[in-house]
This record gives sequence, C-alpha cells and structure tokens, in this order.
Amino acid sequence: MGGVVRQVKDVRLGDHLCLAFAHEAEQREVASAFVTAGLERGERVLYFTDGPTGDRVRRWLEESGVDVAEAMATGRLGIRSAEDTYLAAGRFDPDAMIDALREEVDRSLAAGFAGFRVSGEMGWALRGMAGAERLEEYERRVTALFDEGVSAAICLYDTRVFPADRLSALIGSHPGRVQMNALVHEGPLRVIPSFDPAGSRVLRVAGAIDHDSATAWSAALRGAIGGNGLGGDLQIDMSELEFIDVAGLRALVRTAGELEDGRRLRVTRLAPRLNEIVRLVGWDQTTGLIIDAESFPS
Amino acid sequence: MTASPTQRVPELVHHALIYDSDEAFLAATAGFCLDGLAAGDKVLAVTTAANIGLLKDGLGQISDGVQFVTAQDWYDTPGRTLAAYNRYVNAHKTHHRRVRIIGEPVWHGRSPAEEAEWTRYESVINAAFEGSPAWIVCPYDERVLPERVVSDARRTHPQLLTGDTARDSRVYTDPAAFTHASDHLPLPLPPAGTHVESTFDADLGRTRRLVSAWATALGLADGTAGRLVLAVNEVVVNAVRHGGGHGRIRLWADHSVIRCDVTDSGRLRAPFPGYLPPDPAADRGHGLWVVRQLCDLLEIRGGEHGTQVRLHLSRA
Repeated sequence: MGGVVRQVKDVRLGDHLCLAFAHEAEQREVASAFVTAGLERGERVLYFTDGPTGDRVRRWLEESGVDVAEAMATGRLGIRSAEDTYLAAGRFDPDAMIDALREEVDRSLAAGFAGFRVSGEMGWALRGMAGAERLEEYERRVTALFDEGVSAAICLYDTRVFPADRLSALIGSHPGRVQMNALVHEGPLRVIPSFDPAGSRVLRVAGAIDHDSATAWSAALRGAIGGNGLGGDLQIDMSELEFIDVAGLRALVRTAGELEDGRRLRVTRLAPRLNEIVRLVGWDQTTGLIIDAESFPS
Repeated sequence: MTASPTQRVPELVHHALIYDSDEAFLAATAGFCLDGLAAGDKVLAVTTAANIGLLKDGLGQISDGVQFVTAQDWYDTPGRTLAAYNRYVNAHKTHHRRVRIIGEPVWHGRSPAEEAEWTRYESVINAAFEGSPAWIVCPYDERVLPERVVSDARRTHPQLLTGDTARDSRVYTDPAAFTHASDHLPLPLPPAGTHVESTFDADLGRTRRLVSAWATALGLADGTAGRLVLAVNEVVVNAVRHGGGHGRIRLWADHSVIRCDVTDSGRLRAPFPGYLPPDPAADRGHGLWVVRQLCDLLEIRGGEHGTQVRLHLSRA
C-alpha cells in the first residue's frame, strides 16, 4: 500500500485519508483529534455516523473538551447519520454525494469558515444498500474535491467488519492513511500506538532504538503501561524495527517485569537474532514477557 | 592435603590436572567422578573422545551417571563456552550440592590470538564462578601441548591435581592481575591494502550505516551482517559513553573471518570486560557480554593511550 501515512495531528486541508481500525478506541482517538483540531482552526466540521444516533460521538467529543451543544448551535459542528448523507437518495449515488459535499464546502467558505472537514463511518456500505458497490469509485473520485485544498476528510473503516479484499481495495482508493499520533517521534525512532480487536494497546515500533533514543523509548513504554485506564496486555509490534541495541531490549524486559500481576507484554515479529539475545541473557524468563519471534531465519 | 573440599558451603574449586599418561589422567578423574556420584553431585565430563573412552572403561557401569560431552563440541568460543558452563551450573546447583566438571579445553588448531584468549578464559573462570558450587578440573595433556600452554595453566589454576591430591600452584595469578605474554604486543595489523577505515563519533546511526554498507560490500549474509552491526554498535556505545566520545573503526576480512577494530582514547576500567555473566535484572552491563556471545573472538588492548577492541566474526 503506497500513499502518505499521516499522524492525525498532521492532517491538513487537502487531505483525503482513511483510518483502518481494529477497535473503537482507535477510531475514537483519531476522530476526536481530527474534529477537535478542525474546530480549533476555525473550520466547519461534519461527522457522519453509521447508525441513527450521534450520542456516542457527542460523548467522545465532550470528553475531549468540546462544547458540543454550543458548536452545533453555531453551525461549526454537525453530526449526521449515514441515512441522511451517503444514503440520502435511498441508495448510494457517488455523483450526488460528491455534489452534496461540494455544496457543504462552498457553504462553509461563504459563511466565513477557514475550511471544511468531514469524517464518516463507512460500515453502512456492508448492508447491501443499492449503489454501495460503487464506494471504491466514489473514494477515488472525491479525492479531486479535497485536492482543491480547502477541505479534508477521514473515512473510518472497521477492519473487523470489512472483508480483507474489499478493505484493501478501499484503502487503495485513498491517497493516504491516517494513524494515531506517535508516542515517540525522535530522530530515527517512531512509536505509533493503536489497538487490537480485543482493545489491548499495540505499539508499532519503526526505525532504530539506540543510545540516542533510549530515553524516549523507555518513556514510551512506561507511558503505554501506566496511562490512564490502560489495563490489559500490551503488544509491541517489531516488524518495522530496523535496529535495537542491548539496552533497548533491556528496557523492554524491564517494562514487562514492572507490569502488575496478570498483565502481559507481548513482543511480536522480533527478529530471531534478537530473540536469541533475549534468551542468552536469560531475559526470556521474565514473568509477563511473551515473545513471538519471526519464523523465518534472519 | 586431600582434594576434598570443605564440608561447609561449597565454593569454587578450580584444579589443573597436568598429566603425561592415560594412567595419570584416569587416576585423578575416575576418583573425582566416583566421589561426586557417591555424594549426589552433578558430574559433567568434557574432554577428548579418547579420554571419554578411558573414563567410561575405568568407571564401568557407574559411568551412566556421568554426562559426557566431546570437547570439540563444547569449547566453541571463550565467551560462549563460559556462558554455557554458567547456564549448566545454574541449572543443576539447585538440585545438587556440587556441580563437578572435568573440562579439557581444545588447544590444537587454535591461532595465537585464540590461544591467548582461551588462556585468559581459564583465568577468568576463577572470577566468573567465585562463590559458585562448581568444582572444575581442567586436564592438560603434557604429551601433546606446547610448554607455554602448560605453564600458563599453572598461572590460571589456584591448585594443581595429581591423583587425589591437590596442592597450591605457587605461580597462580589473581585473575584481575593476569596478563598473557602477548598482551604486551600490539595486535597484528591488517594485511596491507585490505581494510576499510573511518572515524566514529556520537552519531551511532551513521556508524551502523557505514558498517552495514561494508558488510554488504563483503557479501555477508543478513544474519552475519546483523550480528556485526549489533556488536560494533555496542562497542562504539561504550567508547562514546565512557571513552573519548570518538575514535576510529576499521574492518577487513579473509575467506572465513571478518575482523573489526574499534579504537578510542578512553580506558576500559572493567576488569573482565564482557566475561562475567550479567544478572538479568541488572540495569546495565549486558552490552559487552552480548558482544562476546555474538562474536567468535574478542581481543582487547588497553592502556594509557586508549583502548583497542578487535572483534572476530566468522562469515558462516
């Protein structure tokens, strides 16, 4: 999958991105950050829910500090259902939807807003509605509207309900993807949080962990196990890791050892060579540490 | 005095058995095994195939209680072998009062650098297993070994064993003070025109990219290149943190071994760098130990003017 990958804090007018999430917690983090940032920048924001009520979204935003009633009363924020937007014609019609969005953009600018941003839950496309098979076409064509640079969109796809093939085609119909804000983005190291289908926190580690990034790495691990309301297991996905030094492995092991009883730190897709080092030092005996090494030789 | 250790809390016993006949080998080792088995100790015999045969014949049926390993399969590299003994002792010390080991190192076919480091390994054993219930007897076959290897055994073992009698070695040298004859000589230079060289500083990523590019140019397999980069990174981090903050790195290879020198102006103060098995729970100190596990040989020259660390990695 090509295209840009942006942290949600870096989304700008002109972007048309998708979020493929495996748990509501990730959807909530990204959607809330996207809406909040739009309101703060003086843009008009619409959120399309997959379902009749927007109560859930309203609660997310209120807990993010948005005065939802005020924002809606002044027209800065709208929460609408898929039935009233994507399916307003009783079926899904890409042309009608693109025209409707263009009207919203024009209306926002005419009213003096700095821009327009929209986020939509896309689960309605799986309910056999007429025209839903044209969703990929729509996603490809609507990019031109956002390309004009005065509006932005994040389309929300739940990986638990979309079949893998369809999801892959839909993701490929967007110019890029969005992810949660990095816990660490320092030098060559990036640590990106997400959630697995069970709602456990996942840290995707990319780049290099060495003496220079050791402090940030330790802080990210500590934050991930100690954050507010963060119980359960923690998974560390090492598939994009380019390098980790011995002290970096030590920090991982220490974090596992600091988990309270019953919680586990699961390291996935660690290179076999690194797993061997963990074993040699005796760190594999750490209570709470589980390592799923890559099966191919490295 | 007899070889029987004190009946209180067992602590390390490290004997050299310098022998000049099969009978002399057997006179010391058979009784060592029998006493151990009678006392419920764990008994491991790592020696030549010929000596394993002798010992099995000498012990008869009871040899089933002894674990035999051929020395060629056990004496891999000093760092890895020391770690293997450490794991062995830790695994068995909970169920046995003593872990008895006959450990006959392999000297045949070793390069001068390897011989020096295996000699140092024998000395480090005294520090690495201090306070451990290991009782290690290291046979040295005078009939085939060079005189220098045998005389170093008297410096690296606190006691010398003959039959069932041990006496103190008068030339035993404390491991922290031990030096090998070659330590005073500079490490041999790479063959002319064969090495690549660069400086390094606190930019570790740059050094890793450089070493990685050298590894690619040498056609190293991914696994070997990864070990090399990790090992060099750990040595360079030490130099950056504790040394002068910068230094030189050079690398060369022949058909079987890659060698890499990391040189800086700092002094390495740890007495047994990377040799003592680190406590997994320690906050630091695992780096050089891991380097010894990754590499086939590690040579260190230190002094007033700086430290030179030479890593040897086999291509395979």
